[in-house]
Amino acid sequence: MQALFVVLVVTLLVSWAVRLTGDPSLMLAQGAGSVTEQDLANIRAHLGLNRPFSEQYIGFVNGLLHGDFGKSFIGATPVVILIEDALPATLSLTCCALLLSLILSIPLGIQAAVNKGGWSDQLIRIFSLIGLSFPNFWLAIMLVLLFAIVIPVFPPSGLDGPLSIVLPTVTMGIILTATNVRLVRTSMLETLSAQYIMVARSKGLRESVVLYKHALRNCAIPLITFIGLQFGSLIGGIVVVEKVFNWPGMGTLAFDAIAARDYPVLQATVTVLALLIVTVNFLVDIAYGFVDPRVRTR
Amino acid sequence: MYQIKNFVAATLIALGLAVTPAGYAAGTLSIAASAGDPGSWDPIDTFLVTWGGVGSQIYDGLTMRTADMKLVPGLATSWEMLDNDTRIRFKLRQNVKFHNGEPFYAQAVKFTFDRLLGSEGAKGPQQSNYNAIKEVKVIDPYTVDFILSRPDPVLLTKLAGYGAMLVPPKYVTEKGDEYFNSHPVGTGPFKFVDYKPKVSLTLERNGDYWDGAPKLDGIVYRFIAEPATQVAELQAGRLDIATAIPLSMLDVIAKDPKLTTASINGPTTLALRFNTKEGITKDPSVRRALTMAVDRDTIIKQMLGGNAEAVASFQGKLSFGYDPALKPLPYDPAEAKKLLKAAGIKPGATVQIDFRGTDTNFREVAQAISGYLQAVGVKATLKPYETSVLLNDIIPNGKTGEMWQNQWGGWTFDYDNTAYAMYHSGQKWNPYDKDAALDKMLDAQRDTYDQKARERILREVAKYVADQSLEMPLYSLNTVYGINKRVQNLTLPADGRFRFVSESIQ
Repeated sequence: MQALFVVLVVTLLVSWAVRLTGDPSLMLAQGAGSVTEQDLANIRAHLGLNRPFSEQYIGFVNGLLHGDFGKSFIGATPVVILIEDALPATLSLTCCALLLSLILSIPLGIQAAVNKGGWSDQLIRIFSLIGLSFPNFWLAIMLVLLFAIVIPVFPPSGLDGPLSIVLPTVTMGIILTATNVRLVRTSMLETLSAQYIMVARSKGLRESVVLYKHALRNCAIPLITFIGLQFGSLIGGIVVVEKVFNWPGMGTLAFDAIAARDYPVLQATVTVLALLIVTVNFLVDIAYGFVDPRVRTR
Repeated sequence: MYQIKNFVAATLIALGLAVTPAGYAAGTLSIAASAGDPGSWDPIDTFLVTWGGVGSQIYDGLTMRTADMKLVPGLATSWEMLDNDTRIRFKLRQNVKFHNGEPFYAQAVKFTFDRLLGSEGAKGPQQSNYNAIKEVKVIDPYTVDFILSRPDPVLLTKLAGYGAMLVPPKYVTEKGDEYFNSHPVGTGPFKFVDYKPKVSLTLERNGDYWDGAPKLDGIVYRFIAEPATQVAELQAGRLDIATAIPLSMLDVIAKDPKLTTASINGPTTLALRFNTKEGITKDPSVRRALTMAVDRDTIIKQMLGGNAEAVASFQGKLSFGYDPALKPLPYDPAEAKKLLKAAGIKPGATVQIDFRGTDTNFREVAQAISGYLQAVGVKATLKPYETSVLLNDIIPNGKTGEMWQNQWGGWTFDYDNTAYAMYHSGQKWNPYDKDAALDKMLDAQRDTYDQKARERILREVAKYVADQSLEMPLYSLNTVYGINKRVQNLTLPADGRFRFVSESIQ
């Protein structure tokens, strides 16, 4: 219920705010050269912009409840079709980036924690700091230059076969890894000093079992919480990466819709992304139950 | 565990299979569409440059233009003006078929224009370009008459572009407008194959094209908005023609042995227009002084790499109405200072320059202009706007600073397209001026088919605007392309609407 309220408030704010920056009819008509008020009135009437805002918004919410997001102002493509194409592209990119960051950050974070103060810890922390300092657009351009032009292994842009996801994933994944490594290291340091770890070690368990079964599981809760939060900022930051890599996802869709004042597309994109973030937070709550039996029994 | 192993194995196989970057079949040309995805391929729905380029491959108009902008017969083989220029009679080309096999004849012309001028056309931006046409009458299967409600001397040119492209009546009626948006059918040299919104549009050659079959097997238009991404794709060999190149990257392309660049006169002209209602720019002599304070030739040379030409009016030299005798005001800071002093402007007076914040080239140009103005004692502040806000709100509602960036690129290459929209009273792009003399001239040139008289009047308009210093004319921007050398016989049209009939791929 709370989640639904959040989504409704977000769509209301976006629908209202985007209309403050002028209506799109003049932009749609500007190529025609001289434009009369009648031409603009015709376009507004066709787009339904001559109706009061409340009516337009209620129409949008009503459509939403019936799975109809309306039609794009640019070319009248049904918005559902645009979202159907863009959402999987964004989800695959986001999930691959998160996965890459987990694959890298968990072993590196553990390694740094176990060897606290050692050379590997120092090295991992330095790389993490470098990773955090990279602006994602710069990293993206450098990766394209290196791995698409100098060494032409990957395509520089577009969604064009499985290889095309590598560079955008690495761009987003490296920056995420830099943050997650620090989180895993700190949580692991706390956990490793706990008494049950001493008990596990005194039982004579192998170090890998102690680390990956007992310690890591207890580090998982802050990590999962953080990934849930990261997902929201990932979706926010994906616009830049999608633009640089010409990735046909939700970020590109939203960016183009803002530039063209394509209200139906923008409203739909924001609604879907808000729903997505709410869903991920819900999944995070469920995930707690998997890693911590105490949450399940509560 | 087995599932994980299987997943990993499957992923590795998928990656292995895709190690070779996706390429295109021999004879297929890939070109970037930088102006965005128009979302519909119906001629009446859009004005986007991308549509213009693609539309020229799929459709034909009654008239056509060559790469150097000469008007030639298209699906009409000839035309004549009748009844005191109130009727144009077109003789139509015979034995032409739409891509779906539907024959082209007079009824298709009537259907196309009834649709454009009726309720379907009223939904889009194209109708207003053609509303001088009152009615289309079918005389016989290969003759049509256009009955005009008022003169439109640019109409024959407009029939070569955008909204006037001929559509198949049976197909559109049977399939409906929504289907037609994404499955276009015309009579042009290429047929529609596939459209992926926001990603690409694929066309294949029309072997039965009435003007000779094209040599290419097909064309892939890729929607790539970022100029730097276009350059990367061009360097990686995945794009044959990049249509938006950051000027700072021209050298990078020129140094690549596989690539070349081309810079040709284009339709886009830039000016800083003046607020004639408020601020120091109310005074024509101040406007003249500010124009003389800026060294446009140096800006063009240093900042635009010579890819532009200084102009004296808001049009380039390909524009009908361009007057080679009208020279830009000279760069003369001493004279500018004198004029400012005579107008009572004290050193330290301020102006605000509004510009499109995303236009990195122009940001540098605006900074240079600010420096030149500072040198004559006028302090300029730069105010970047998001393009849509500037175009939707700031300019039409008269909320600009003393100067604002205006760029215009009428595809008709007729000064009327720019001048009427910029200077006629009541026009959206003219928020401040109401000048009866200008209105009279602008209306007069729209009232006659005498092209010599029109040219004279349009030149008078340009001179009048320059005398009043209604704007600081800056430059006519070249269109710059990055091209893979494997493209042979490439003809570069000034309006950017390629028609790949004689081109091939090596």
